[in-house]
Amino acid sequence: MRSTFKIGGIHPPGNKIADRSIELLPLPMTATLPLSQHIGVPAKPIVEKGEHVDRGQCVAENSAYISAGLHAPISGTVAAIEPTVLPSGKLCNAIIIKATQEEHDADTAVRELYWEKVNSRIPEFSLCDRYDKSEIIKLVSASGVVGLGGAAFPSHVKLASEKVTTIPELLILNGCECEPYLMCDDALMCAYARNIAVGIELMMKASGIKNAVIAIEDNKSEAIKAISAAIVSREGVALRVLKTKYPQGGEKQLVEAVTGRRIASGALPISVGVIVQNVATAFAVWQAVATGQPLIERVVTVSGDIPAEQRRNYMVAIGTPLAELPCERPPKCRSLLGGPMMGSPVVRYDASLMKGSSGLTILSGEGRKAPMQCVRCAICVEACPMGLEPYLLSTYGRLRMCDEAREHAVADCIECGICSYSCPSNRPLLDFIRVAKQRSRK
Amino acid sequence: MNLLLGSIIVLGVMGFMGALVLYSTAKRFAVEEDARIDEIVSLLPGANCGGCGFKGCRDFATQSVAKGSLAGFRCPVATKAVLDQVAKVLGVESIGDAERQVAVLRCNGSCHVREQQYEYEGPQSCAVIDNTAVGTRGCWYGCLGCGDCVDVCSFNALRIDNDTKLPVVDDKLCTACGACVAECPRHLFQLRSIGDKNEGRRVWVACSNKERGAMARKACAAACIACTKCAKTCPTGAITISENLAYIDYKQCIACGECVAVCPTGAILANIPHREVKLEKTESQA
Amino acid sequence: MKENNLIFSPSPNIHTSRTTPGAMKHVLIALLPAIFCALYFFGLPALSLLIVTVGVSILTEWLITKYMLRRPATIGDCSAALTGVLLALNLPANLPLWMGAVGAVIAIGIAKMAFGGLGCNIFNPALVGRVFLLISFPVAMTTWPLPDGGFGDADGATGATLLSLVKMNGADLDSFSRLSFLVGDVGGSMGEVSAIAILIGFAYLLIMRVIRWYIPIAVVLGLVLVDLGCGYPIGIDIISGGLLLGAVFMASDYVTSPMTRNGMLLYGLLIGVITAVIRRWGSYPEGMSFAILIMNGVTPLINRYMRPAKFSSVKKEVDK
Repeated sequence: MRSTFKIGGIHPPGNKIADRSIELLPLPMTATLPLSQHIGVPAKPIVEKGEHVDRGQCVAENSAYISAGLHAPISGTVAAIEPTVLPSGKLCNAIIIKATQEEHDADTAVRELYWEKVNSRIPEFSLCDRYDKSEIIKLVSASGVVGLGGAAFPSHVKLASEKVTTIPELLILNGCECEPYLMCDDALMCAYARNIAVGIELMMKASGIKNAVIAIEDNKSEAIKAISAAIVSREGVALRVLKTKYPQGGEKQLVEAVTGRRIASGALPISVGVIVQNVATAFAVWQAVATGQPLIERVVTVSGDIPAEQRRNYMVAIGTPLAELPCERPPKCRSLLGGPMMGSPVVRYDASLMKGSSGLTILSGEGRKAPMQCVRCAICVEACPMGLEPYLLSTYGRLRMCDEAREHAVADCIECGICSYSCPSNRPLLDFIRVAKQRSRK
Repeated sequence: MNLLLGSIIVLGVMGFMGALVLYSTAKRFAVEEDARIDEIVSLLPGANCGGCGFKGCRDFATQSVAKGSLAGFRCPVATKAVLDQVAKVLGVESIGDAERQVAVLRCNGSCHVREQQYEYEGPQSCAVIDNTAVGTRGCWYGCLGCGDCVDVCSFNALRIDNDTKLPVVDDKLCTACGACVAECPRHLFQLRSIGDKNEGRRVWVACSNKERGAMARKACAAACIACTKCAKTCPTGAITISENLAYIDYKQCIACGECVAVCPTGAILANIPHREVKLEKTESQA
Repeated sequence: MKENNLIFSPSPNIHTSRTTPGAMKHVLIALLPAIFCALYFFGLPALSLLIVTVGVSILTEWLITKYMLRRPATIGDCSAALTGVLLALNLPANLPLWMGAVGAVIAIGIAKMAFGGLGCNIFNPALVGRVFLLISFPVAMTTWPLPDGGFGDADGATGATLLSLVKMNGADLDSFSRLSFLVGDVGGSMGEVSAIAILIGFAYLLIMRVIRWYIPIAVVLGLVLVDLGCGYPIGIDIISGGLLLGAVFMASDYVTSPMTRNGMLLYGLLIGVITAVIRRWGSYPEGMSFAILIMNGVTPLINRYMRPAKFSSVKKEVDK
């Protein structure tokens, strides 16, 4: 019996329809790097307007304990450091780098050579012996690696948290990718399983953890095959196939599915002796240590209601404008950064792709239907993976009843969207739960 | 007949005993309360708006009786006469004549100056839209126009104007209870003096866009672009510019309306007929 | 930069295909076997009563939304039709049609729309209508036609239901064939007579995932517990007197039942117990309607105290 988490959960249509191969997307002529692409304090720019930067050069550094640096994804000149729009249309300070044609051509050649090398060489596990703990952490930190699953938590902080004195027992590698449409982790696991495996051992060494489990849902048979081949005869690293269920990629759900332990309200996985990292993060760690390339590229899935040949996985330079991702947008579509369950809406295509962006999903189908009265069918209560009462919390949010919302643990909500998804009366449950969450925090 | 009489007696006795129980418990467990609390509650407006900072009118009364004075208490709804009466009940000096306040909207981004750029699907609530994206009209600071403020106003002082799609404050009904100030997810409402000293005239900057001029202007034709024309024109020096926005110090403002006339984008509003004067001028020039 | 063809809306941006009107339609489909049995055994009077209650229910809701509430019509969600069908199935087939109409008006007008329509009612509308009729017209409501075993007029013979026979005369239970109960060849209200038809409907609802098993099973369990306690024949008690109809279609009504699994189990269990208590010691031979209505009233209380098991029930350890 394949394990999964216990409370709630649903099975939305997977729609994992994109091509699994990874294609290099041409570098952009202009790259926009918002300073706040990660959880924590925004990075501090260390370049000035008009300065020339090389591809891979650090342009903004860690400014606090929880923060991550930024690196130039292309060579060029810093055109501006000013408030720029994010995909949601909101503003954030960003470094804008513009390349000339020569710089662009040179970068492209270097990049192609780099990926040729990565693809042709079999990564060695002996890499881990060449570095000690602090060196790995230093490299990870200097490369601006953050969690690539979506939350973008700086990885070096997770690997060596100052606040935790005991060494965690287990490192869980999140390869669940439970969101419909998204396939970037799947693609990465198929193509770079061994690199990921080395990355995992680097992380284990950096954090002192003796055991690691790679968790993959049972709908990704190719990735399971590739990973199990890559970790053959590696001590302490195991593969765990989980039953497919949304939201298994949620940290709390994943820890329960793998270990059976439950993380307390408001606590981090470390409180039960576990660290969770995304498989893509393991790849980024490998890249940082083995090749010295900082986090300037990532895999992005472009999928949804677009022509089949455009549903692809791309290796994209961070900072690339969304408009440069090749996809034909049908009229009256909704486009999302991320998957359809938790992805945030895109209103500006001139905004750039960020470290935490795992995909661009275009949906053209019927949008929201008119909400009806709640008939108290209790489907949301049964489906909520956190064991909350969405119908109640949503009402509290709508009526601004913050004390009651707090009492009913609104802060536990992980905003997975199951309640709104499964409501037969089309009620905007999550929308108002977010309001309740926000207001009760004050 | 016997049956009838019997049931009347039985029911009567039961009723009487019930009454006795009720009476004795009411006596036994009665909570002693200062009679003045009820008296004050009957004087107060009873809207329970929370504008005083307490949980409602009764809480206001209880707290003020407990404190034995009205110092620090403020009811934005009650008139001065009512508060004088409350003070009399408490046997204390009446609180001074606080300046009457009114809420103003620091945004003038009507649908004429800020075109709708994106279509939104979801619950019509400013709080929800603000959590999702920039809004349908593309300004990062401006009004979202879904009327969350209208919903929370207990005094019907707010309505969404059909033409501009912006909330309009009715200064006759507004009691400055502050509900809209707390509700607006973009903090666009501000309480300010209703302008009694200037015969009810008041001038305010109707923009909250803190971006630099060019950027602000791109988002909205009626944005304050911090051009400092108003600050230079103001005869009393009441206008200062900070964070790319003009601010008017209401203590110094004499509501002359000069700033309204010079503002190139129309970001300064007034409840005086200066706008029309300006329009006439431009017409005659043309 | 203008992106006119873009729509944005907060996540999630996909939605299940399940809908509330769809659930209502599934319940109607699940009722088809019971309706068919009723028409088969009771013939034309049953059909005309069914048409009257459904028609009046829909008409009442439409009139109220249009002329009193001035809201868009809600009859499209099929809940009014469902109430009408359930009401008819709870009535004796030979009830005068005007009584059925009165019941439908009460069910929709008082029990449902007065509270605000679908989703707001506290009590099950069909049962309110039925109980109103039962109290107002006790004789008509307890004169049960005996089925004549085929299509045709059933007004020939009338009689009491089995449970009332047992209650009044201590009838010999062995004189009734168990089989006739299962297929419905006995006296009783239109929908309650055939246990098999109701069970087919139950199976359909479970397969379509419209309802969960918690409430119906708990109702039966509650009844069985009391029966065991006082040594009453269990089988007859379960398959007669509208228990199954009530357990599957009325007690499990979304609006008036609790929100959590434990709450549903408790709710169902108490309905079973109250039904058994009314049957044993009350003056009515059947107690299902009253038991459900009583528990409808208790539902908010159950919702308050039976909370779902939270994921993070443990208190946060001090690790900072």
